Amino acid sequence: MNAWILAAMGFALCLVPCALVALRARNVVDRLVALEMAAACESLALLVLAEGFERTIFFDLALSLALLSFGGGLVFARFLERWL
Amino acid sequence: MTAATIAVDALLGLAVGVALLSSIGVLAMRDPYQRLHFITPPASLSALCVTLAIFIGEKQKQAGGKAALVAFLLYFMNAVVTHATARAHFVREKGSWPPPEPIEVVKESR
Repeated sequence: MNAWILAAMGFALCLVPCALVALRARNVVDRLVALEMAAACESLALLVLAEGFERTIFFDLALSLALLSFGGGLVFARFLERWL
Repeated sequence: MTAATIAVDALLGLAVGVALLSSIGVLAMRDPYQRLHFITPPASLSALCVTLAIFIGEKQKQAGGKAALVAFLLYFMNAVVTHATARAHFVREKGSWPPPEPIEVVKESR
């Protein structure tokens, strides 16, 4: 196990507080904030995992997650603003 | 252990520490406006540290370029999503955006 895998485990650990907020918060915007935080942390986790496994193709996963989480966050925010 | 290895370990440790403290901050704060502030450190400082660590530790330029692109996306798109989320919360609370009248700032007397 190298430093990259340990860093990925650290970033994965960041999901626990985000999951607690997403599951327990009363306000739905709080849950959206937790989702955005989890997306940022997991993009970084995928980056260090790609480096840890020495597979350059895995960097595309982090790139895809960063792009899709941006679109998803915007859609959720717009949806919560208008209809929910 | 070379200087590059030490630098990579230090950068990764800093990135993970910042992300962990920020996620605990998201858990500890009370409302969405306060919580939104804690998304920025992982998207900016942690992403920068991870990108620097990949540039130092990786010989291939392609990996460093993709990591820099991810950091760029996280940094700039996080600002847009944070603004959209704060605006959504404001509209849900107050009913419209922009605010119909100037928001009064009450100064506390000492």
